[in-house]
Amino acid sequence: MDIKQTPLYEHHQKLGAKMADFAGWVMPIQYRGIITEHKSVRERVGVFDVSHMGQIFVRGPQTIEFLSYITTWDMKRQKEGDCRYCHILDNKGMIIDDIIAYSISSEEYMIIPNASTVDKIFDWMIDNSTEFKVDIKNSTTDFFCLALQGPEALRLLGQHLNISVKPFCFVKIGETIVSGTGYTGEFGCEIIGPAEEVSTHWHSLLDMGAEPVGLGARDTLRLEKGFLLSGQDFDGGQSPLEAGYGWVIDWHHEFIGKEALMKQKKTSFLKLSGIILEERGVIRTGFDVFHQGECISSLTSGSLSPSLGKGIGLAYIDLPLNSAVSVEVRGSHLNARVVRLPFL
Amino acid sequence: MSEVPENLFYTKEHEWVLLEKDGKVRIGITHYAQESLSDVVFVELPEIGTDYSKGDVMAVAESVKAASDIYAPVSGKVIEINNKLEESPELINESPYDFGWLVLIDPERDVEGLWNSQTYRDSIA
Repeated sequence: MDIKQTPLYEHHQKLGAKMADFAGWVMPIQYRGIITEHKSVRERVGVFDVSHMGQIFVRGPQTIEFLSYITTWDMKRQKEGDCRYCHILDNKGMIIDDIIAYSISSEEYMIIPNASTVDKIFDWMIDNSTEFKVDIKNSTTDFFCLALQGPEALRLLGQHLNISVKPFCFVKIGETIVSGTGYTGEFGCEIIGPAEEVSTHWHSLLDMGAEPVGLGARDTLRLEKGFLLSGQDFDGGQSPLEAGYGWVIDWHHEFIGKEALMKQKKTSFLKLSGIILEERGVIRTGFDVFHQGECISSLTSGSLSPSLGKGIGLAYIDLPLNSAVSVEVRGSHLNARVVRLPFL
Repeated sequence: MSEVPENLFYTKEHEWVLLEKDGKVRIGITHYAQESLSDVVFVELPEIGTDYSKGDVMAVAESVKAASDIYAPVSGKVIEINNKLEESPELINESPYDFGWLVLIDPERDVEGLWNSQTYRDSIA
């Protein structure tokens, strides 16, 4: 597989970023350090190059019908200029990916899948679109995506483009879309536009004081908020109900996977739960979780929370909040507890 | 550019070793090692009194992204550990050769097989 570079690759290198392969792209993992970058986003403002995220356009007279069929959300409820977070499921009701759908018009939507699943989602859309009058185009490499996140993000956006955006709404200026979205749990926006225009935005935002933030802090920021990471917290074997994302489902419409979910609803199932360490240490993805001496699960995500200074993780378990568990770290068991999400 | 003080000895696993006047051996990780790890958020140190053979894992330094084993550069008994690292693991980043030291070992025999600063500097160049 070729490793792709975002249009800012050389700028990241100039800033001394540590780069690593992520989902087929060489991406900045950190610049000044994960903790510093994390805190900048929580306290001030950071900017992320997330140009690896996908852009798939769906166009045609049956765009809304098609997207309502293929996602968990009824797009008839969307207005032009709305963004919607929802899931794309397989026939068994398992999450293939979580996406954001941008309603550009009744005949044009932009879908943002995760970098690692763009091709899979594109193929899935093509395979399931035979009954619909739609045209589906993968434009991922034509667009950049910058996420500007933090309490001061909207002030910088105002200075930069003289616009403002509300949560889950977007503004379109020419070919550029600015949406009130993100993956950090902070106020902010994402700017998506033609790849060749990225460096103007990037430099302008850095000049105004935005801290460049890599994927390392992006992971700790999202984990503190309990946001799912594609390929980790779901990898083809979990439904939105199990992931604790029942709210992404509009039950009043027909969609792929609905029947399976209706059945699952009537059964008991494991739920993605927050686990917080009660002693010092770091818990990581894949570490085993124990309850009353028995291994019951393993962490789908785990890290140190820079905001809380504690180990936090996610695992599919069936235990009430506050249950005592332990996480095995290098052969020893560290005490932990099941807590409500988000952590922060 | 990584700092490599001349008065220390080194291992290829990026530990430094200071031979104290009383024959004890102070151990830490190098400037280069802390830089590659980046923010150290947790350090697991050995118990005082534990005996290690050269090459045993005796401590673990964890950053947000990764855990990194620290090996005993010499055989001997742990006689002191840097308790400050429990509260302030970032001392390893801020002062790897001084306040960020890890353990003090009473070596079993004469220390040998370690690199001088020039050899270590070349290995990370």
